Amino acid sequence: MHDLLDKRNLKIFAGILLLFAIGLVGFYIFSVEYGDGLEVTMEEAGVDEPEPFYSGLLGYGDNYLGSLAMGIIGFFVTLLAVYLLARLLRKNEA
Amino acid sequence: MAPAVAGVGWIIALILLATTFKVLNKRMDDRQITLMAVLAAGIFVAQMLNFPIGGGTTGHLLGAALATIILGPLAGILILTTILTIQALVFGDGGLTALGLNILNMAIIGSLVAWYAYIALRKWNINAAVFAAAFSSVFAAALAAAAQLAVSHSLSGGVYGISGAIAFPAMAAFHLLIGIGEAIITSSVVLYIARVSPGMLKLPKLTLATFKKEAIADA
Repeated sequence: MHDLLDKRNLKIFAGILLLFAIGLVGFYIFSVEYGDGLEVTMEEAGVDEPEPFYSGLLGYGDNYLGSLAMGIIGFFVTLLAVYLLARLLRKNEA
Repeated sequence: MAPAVAGVGWIIALILLATTFKVLNKRMDDRQITLMAVLAAGIFVAQMLNFPIGGGTTGHLLGAALATIILGPLAGILILTTILTIQALVFGDGGLTALGLNILNMAIIGSLVAWYAYIALRKWNINAAVFAAAFSSVFAAALAAAAQLAVSHSLSGGVYGISGAIAFPAMAAFHLLIGIGEAIITSSVVLYIARVSPGMLKLPKLTLATFKKEAIADA
């Protein structure tokens, strides 16, 4: 784990999260009200998405600070998940 | 999506993922694992940042081409699969029933199409190869989703999915623009990496061909 959390990587994490914090401002100004390509295609075709039977543990947040917090949580959950999965795959081989 | 189509998507995705993971576990060094984790986390937050493409529609980075160009298609598949699974399980995004198809379209088709576009063009022009890989990964994933919507519509007599006559042109038109956005972002990131950390782009790629050659050499 120490290789993941060395000084160089911590700087990279900070850089990515800073870019995310800035990009999120743009998202809330320009995009928050609109759906993506698939959602708009479904909407235009008159397809109502069914109520999901599972809606997740968390959401993406509905304001800037909420989304920022969820992004940071997602960042570290993804970082750890990929790291541990790759390590586990390699361990199984050894 | 029709349950039968979602079910078949899960089966195909699981078979291809099992193959990917089996092959991947043979050769991953520490540097590749660390970079995979950092890339995945970066792509996760980038996917939250939708950008407008006009007409009240947005798109966001897929990231399959970026991961594939840096670490190879098998790494791309692992990274995108993990991201999509976290989005579905933790953030309720994409849905669990559609997760198999999402993995098939975005992680598997997205990464493989990106890789083959990239290797087909990289000897001619590396920048064009990166651009084409990123664009084609998004466009191919979107066309695959359109096909699944059309098959769902046809199989269910219109209860699920969308008619192919609507799904294909709409998905193609939106993802033509989203694909250009993906290509611009991916090209910018790859150019930046080439400037600040060129060694990152020279790491061994995790591909099926590499493992096949190694298996033959070992035999």
